Amino acid sequence: MITYKLFLQQCIRSKEVWISLLLITLLGIISLVIGSKHLVRQQEAIAEIKTYQQQHFDRQASLHNEDLGLLLYYTKFAYVNNLNPLAGISIGQGDVNPTVKRISIKTFEAQKFDTDLVNPMNLQSGNLDLSFVIIYLFPLLVIVLTFNALSEETETGTWRLVAIQTKSKLGFLISKLLIRLALLYIVLIFLFCIAKFMLNIPINDSFLSILGLSMLYVIFWFTLSFFVISFKKSSGFNALLLLSIWLILIILLPAGINAYISSKYPVPEALSTAIAQRDGYHTKWDTEKLPTIKKFYSHYPQFKKYGYPTDGFNWLWYYAMQQMGDDDSKNQREALSKKIKLRERTSKQIASVIPNMQLQLAFNLLAGTSMSQHMEYLQGTEGFHEELRLFFYPKIFEKQQADTIDWHRFKPKYYEAKTDINPFKSMIPLLLASGVMILISIPLTRKL
Amino acid sequence: MKWENVRLFALNFWHNATTPKTFYLLHLIFILLTVYATVSGIQKNVTQNDIRKTHQTKARESWEANPDKHPHRMAHFGTYAFRVSPSLGIFDYGLESFTGNTVFLEAHRQNSVNFSEATFSTGTLRFGELSLALLLQLVLPLILFFIGFSSVAADRQNGTLKIVLSQGASWKEILFGKSLGLFAICMLFFIPILLTVIIASLVLENQVASNLHWLRMLLITLGYLSFLFIVCTLTIVVSATSSSSKNALLRLLGIWLLLVVLLPKSAQAMGNYWFPTPTKLAFQSAIEKEEIQKGDSHNPDDPYYNNLRDSVLTVHNVSKITDLPFNYSGFVMREGEKNTSALYKKHHARLINIYKSQNNVTRFSSFFNPFTAIRQLSMTMAGTDFASYIDFQHQADNYRYQLSQTMNELQMKYISPKKESGSEGKTHIVGHEHWEEFEDFNHEPLAFNVSIKETLPALISIVLWTLFAFGLLLFTSKKAKAI
Repeated sequence: MITYKLFLQQCIRSKEVWISLLLITLLGIISLVIGSKHLVRQQEAIAEIKTYQQQHFDRQASLHNEDLGLLLYYTKFAYVNNLNPLAGISIGQGDVNPTVKRISIKTFEAQKFDTDLVNPMNLQSGNLDLSFVIIYLFPLLVIVLTFNALSEETETGTWRLVAIQTKSKLGFLISKLLIRLALLYIVLIFLFCIAKFMLNIPINDSFLSILGLSMLYVIFWFTLSFFVISFKKSSGFNALLLLSIWLILIILLPAGINAYISSKYPVPEALSTAIAQRDGYHTKWDTEKLPTIKKFYSHYPQFKKYGYPTDGFNWLWYYAMQQMGDDDSKNQREALSKKIKLRERTSKQIASVIPNMQLQLAFNLLAGTSMSQHMEYLQGTEGFHEELRLFFYPKIFEKQQADTIDWHRFKPKYYEAKTDINPFKSMIPLLLASGVMILISIPLTRKL
Repeated sequence: MKWENVRLFALNFWHNATTPKTFYLLHLIFILLTVYATVSGIQKNVTQNDIRKTHQTKARESWEANPDKHPHRMAHFGTYAFRVSPSLGIFDYGLESFTGNTVFLEAHRQNSVNFSEATFSTGTLRFGELSLALLLQLVLPLILFFIGFSSVAADRQNGTLKIVLSQGASWKEILFGKSLGLFAICMLFFIPILLTVIIASLVLENQVASNLHWLRMLLITLGYLSFLFIVCTLTIVVSATSSSSKNALLRLLGIWLLLVVLLPKSAQAMGNYWFPTPTKLAFQSAIEKEEIQKGDSHNPDDPYYNNLRDSVLTVHNVSKITDLPFNYSGFVMREGEKNTSALYKKHHARLINIYKSQNNVTRFSSFFNPFTAIRQLSMTMAGTDFASYIDFQHQADNYRYQLSQTMNELQMKYISPKKESGSEGKTHIVGHEHWEEFEDFNHEPLAFNVSIKETLPALISIVLWTLFAFGLLLFTSKKAKAI
């Protein structure tokens, strides 16, 4: 016990250690402030939609009581991607993708990818959230704390003294590193405690997984450092090598991979879908009404009883045309979703061998801010859209009046993102890499 | 200060730095990264522009293929505006991956610009994308730090410095000489990038060029030269004022981390915190509210539009709108479009001002941070900056306005006044030759003089930083100690 106390004293004697520990705690707290601000804004957006939606319905219903078809042309229904408080830790794609979608029962494809108001400069600079602090800055701290753990002893001449007095030189080195690991864990757990109270996060599997993954990630960097310093090179060399590894893993490799993915897999399908859905709907204004209605009935045979009105403008034909926007762009739509999946798969596959990218993806998945979860939310929105259509179509076709419908039952609907990832699976590459490095380092340290 | 001595120190620095084999390894890696960044940059730029151009043509073809029909149907058929990537985008991606590239233009509605690269990417995009500009802004400074950190500190540690100074060399000569030496080495990294961009610009001439491409290129080159000079002197000064090489290295890395990663990120985060963006709903409902106050053309009992109708009837001295010499519904839509567009423009300008306030924190932080200065200068001159994006939005929205007003005027002119409302059917129609007459959308790159105004703070700060770098060399040469 005494030795550990001495190790601790030796470690925190240095001013640099204190400054860097304080700095990272401070940055961690700032990142949580930013995260909570993000959450508050999203919650405000959700609260706003609640009050707005009722007024919106009341106004539309009073204006177009006689004409339900026209009413639904204007009316929009909110579908909310319910916020996970963990999004405050890992904002992920939560800033580029909207949390609230308002959709009308017209062509869905024309509304699917509408974006929120975003400043591209904010997106490009990225979020300074806790995930950034953990992924970018904790490794640097590990490097600062450990790069001279062994070399300082040789450089100041104390190593020989240690070598004859200690039972195990390896044990000595490991104890020295463990003290530093403990210090970092204290900071990490402290930050997570603040996060818990500041962001109101319930202690659940996801929260603990994020904490667990972060701790493992710190261990990964410790083993990496252990590996490097066990070669017994000078402090300067160790620092240079460790920082180069940091630069390559955290800046260069991900940047190179992103450049590869965006130039290798462009998404022209998105633009083709946009044009196809427009043409699918709009060209029907020029063709005979009967084929459009027939096509509509082949999609929804249950509405055949409403007949084939072809004289002048009527809402059945109008919404049949709108439906064609979705139906006629089906091929392009499927190609688009295939391409998005391909991009995601490639990105995930490559990321699985780079711990920091892997960790970012895992964080986003646990916090419900990943791309795949957003795509699922869009699918949920499509389902919601379909529900609305099926509910309103017969009422429009029967020319019901708006006041026969209880508009108050249409509260904004909430979607819960699924976070059923197996955190242990995402830990495997980290564990594996750490294990391999320890296995290589131990024989090296025998010769200390 | 003798030029002869400065030259000697520069040559000596060059010799020392280029002797170890690791230097060639580093250089090789950098060149490979350059090749990779060039290839992916060109590929991305060319394919993206090809995709957008093909779709612009496709959208246009289906616009022109429309048969005779009611002009209001055409106003809603609408068209798409695709943003073209500027030719210097191969060098600096700027905001390219985070700005939408497609917007649907139709009557009454201002749609959002969709399909940015970021919407189709996983969260790892935030690690950044490897471009030539990134190599120069981020990687090259680090390499210069690695090459130069021990230049003076090591001489001090092993005592060479004392000898050199006692033999008649001055601190000024040492510092200027070593800075020049480092700068010369830096050119080994910079010139290949410059050449690739020039060659790529010449080869890709058929692509859409930025406005005053070569002048932009020149400013980018001068900007980077100054920036790299600043980095070189900084390295030498830090090395001269540190007690050991290890300290010098740690300090330089601390500076890098602070100026490249922490400060820019916090500056933008602060802007975002101080000037919050309104939600989309708040933005839209504010416009809606004012629209209703002004007059709602969709409301049959709206007083504004009823007054308008009455005054039009009085002027033309008729009692029914069907007796007017033009189609009244087209007229109402023209007025409506005018009012709502003006309203939207007003609110949109406010929104853009909020964004600008957010970005200004970053823009003006370039006075404290040369790395931000060069980033701003580089992307503004490359035309991949915020101003270029907003300019695209304006161009698209102006085109949208022209489109719907042209269609409204066609309706007023050619659709019978007897047709009160509705646009369905084959009776009240306009010949399809009018569709071709209305020209296609063409995205013009941002004018050079707008870009230069945008980049002024960055430009001034680069100049100031260069002067400061000279001053720092002089100051250090007076204060520096040999031991």
